[in-house]
Amino acid sequence: MSTVPVLETRGLGRSFGGLRAVSDVSFSVPEGQVLGVIGPNGSGKSTFINLVTGHIKPTQGRVLIDGRDLTAARPWVIAHARVARTFQIVKPFRGMSVRENVAVGILYGPQGTNVMAHALKAADEVLEEVGIAGLGDRPPGELSVADARRLELAKALALRPRLLLLDEVMAGLRHTEIEPSLELIRSLKARGITVIVVEHVMKAILAVSDRVLVLHQGQVLTSGDPREVLADPRVIEAYLGHRYAKRRETDS
Amino acid sequence: MTTSTQVPQQGVTGAMHRDQAMRLLPWMVGVLAVLGALALQSQLFLGQQRTVAAIFMFVSLAQAWNLIGGFTGYACFGQVVFFGIGGYFTAIAISHWHLSFWVSLLLSGVVAALFATLIGLPLLRLKGHYFAIATLGVAEGMREVVTNLPDLTGGGAGITIPTVGPDATTAYLGNEGFYVLFLALAALSVLVGGLVARSKFGYALRAIHQDEDAAAAVGINTTRMKVLAFALSGFITGLVGATYAFQQVTIFPQRLFDVNITVLMVIMVVIGGSGTVLGPLLGAVTLQFLSEFLRQNFTDLHIFILGAIIIVAVILLPQGAVNYVREARRTGEFSLLANVRKYRL
Repeated sequence: MSTVPVLETRGLGRSFGGLRAVSDVSFSVPEGQVLGVIGPNGSGKSTFINLVTGHIKPTQGRVLIDGRDLTAARPWVIAHARVARTFQIVKPFRGMSVRENVAVGILYGPQGTNVMAHALKAADEVLEEVGIAGLGDRPPGELSVADARRLELAKALALRPRLLLLDEVMAGLRHTEIEPSLELIRSLKARGITVIVVEHVMKAILAVSDRVLVLHQGQVLTSGDPREVLADPRVIEAYLGHRYAKRRETDS
Repeated sequence: MTTSTQVPQQGVTGAMHRDQAMRLLPWMVGVLAVLGALALQSQLFLGQQRTVAAIFMFVSLAQAWNLIGGFTGYACFGQVVFFGIGGYFTAIAISHWHLSFWVSLLLSGVVAALFATLIGLPLLRLKGHYFAIATLGVAEGMREVVTNLPDLTGGGAGITIPTVGPDATTAYLGNEGFYVLFLALAALSVLVGGLVARSKFGYALRAIHQDEDAAAAVGINTTRMKVLAFALSGFITGLVGATYAFQQVTIFPQRLFDVNITVLMVIMVVIGGSGTVLGPLLGAVTLQFLSEFLRQNFTDLHIFILGAIIIVAVILLPQGAVNYVREARRTGEFSLLANVRKYRL
């Protein structure tokens, strides 16, 4: 295992006009770790993922992947550096089958192939990994919410990433549907893939994260051990408001 | 070796043969169609040959537009600019530089492709209506540029390609020759469409069409792919424009940069089924044939009737005939009213 972190950001920030969506975010993720990123709505979680993956260009700071400076690199350059992501609102390629959706990532991913048959076969393997092996021939529009999320995940895994950024892959899922996703994240970790999980579902964050980073108003509020962070009064205040935090303090 | 192990092997190879045959089928139908068109030529009067050649011309124009507008989802409303550039390049190359038509033809395609690359780099950053309007502007602007360079282009008075006498670098091809040449261009463009549809490149274009962010996120260099598609589309359109110019002998900016040519390409692709290979082919043949039939039988009302048919077709089949049939076969829902409901805004 290398000592260079898979992902490091230095003072990363983005302003939209006068609004600072994200500012001065510095942290690093060592290889093989699962990092949970939490924060209330509008705290900059999705913007942060977009900054790392090149979908939004930062106005300040740097992004280093494996020690390589890939600040403001185009998204496909990031993908070729074996960094994959999912989108909060799933983005399937309609008009292609589920299998073809995944095959596109294999054709154009870091290991790219020109042989369609190989790509389709490898796509079936990825579909099996995420648990929708039987749905390869279906159009993505016919998938359930949970299966559409799995397809989104499969498209990211098609790149055979070293670093995977998951943008709320569990939002809106039922308890029974969340467990397989957690299991999958654990298995990815076991294979040495570094995972950044942006999530609102606290139970999920606690279950899989080695470390948690809390964003609040675009800045890092705190980071560290998941249980300690979630017990931090500042985090509770950011999520539930000043009055709730105070009442909780007096109650205990 | 026992028979019991051989039987399943035969089953597998049998299925493979059938699979291969199914994949080869469209190509074989294509070859037969070209041979059929060549056979048809001997049965046609010269005037009819010209009419059928125009159908071939629109088949290739519709296929070319489909590469950028259909597969890639960038509705180019200035496609005629490549047609005009191809035509004017050939006219200038033959009359000013004394190049042969065949050399000029090829160079016209290349020049149109280079122009597509040049305008594609900035314009393909725009999406939807913005791209449509910007390309429309380029085509309208180019017509004015060509009109205002009389020394080179003949200006509004037009330019005449020498087809007889000592200045003629290539003998005029005549109706028979242009029939074959336009047929070859149609075959080429359908072939390109078929190859793109089945290729890795085609998957990238369709991914870009559906969601550009998602396409970039899985490693597709979206800028390069869009520009390539635009250049390829421009190349074919340039070849067709060059051939059209030579056929017309004398060309004018108003005709070679006529926005109606773009509109026809768009309508043919949309009615046939955009993003498919068969769609633009069927759309171009049907519409051009229908237009000619109406012109000959309802001289006064022909535009009116054609317009009405197009409106009804677009309302009932907004996704195009080919896409409608494919969906209906998959879902078993053939009702046109249900189709309207599905696609209404």
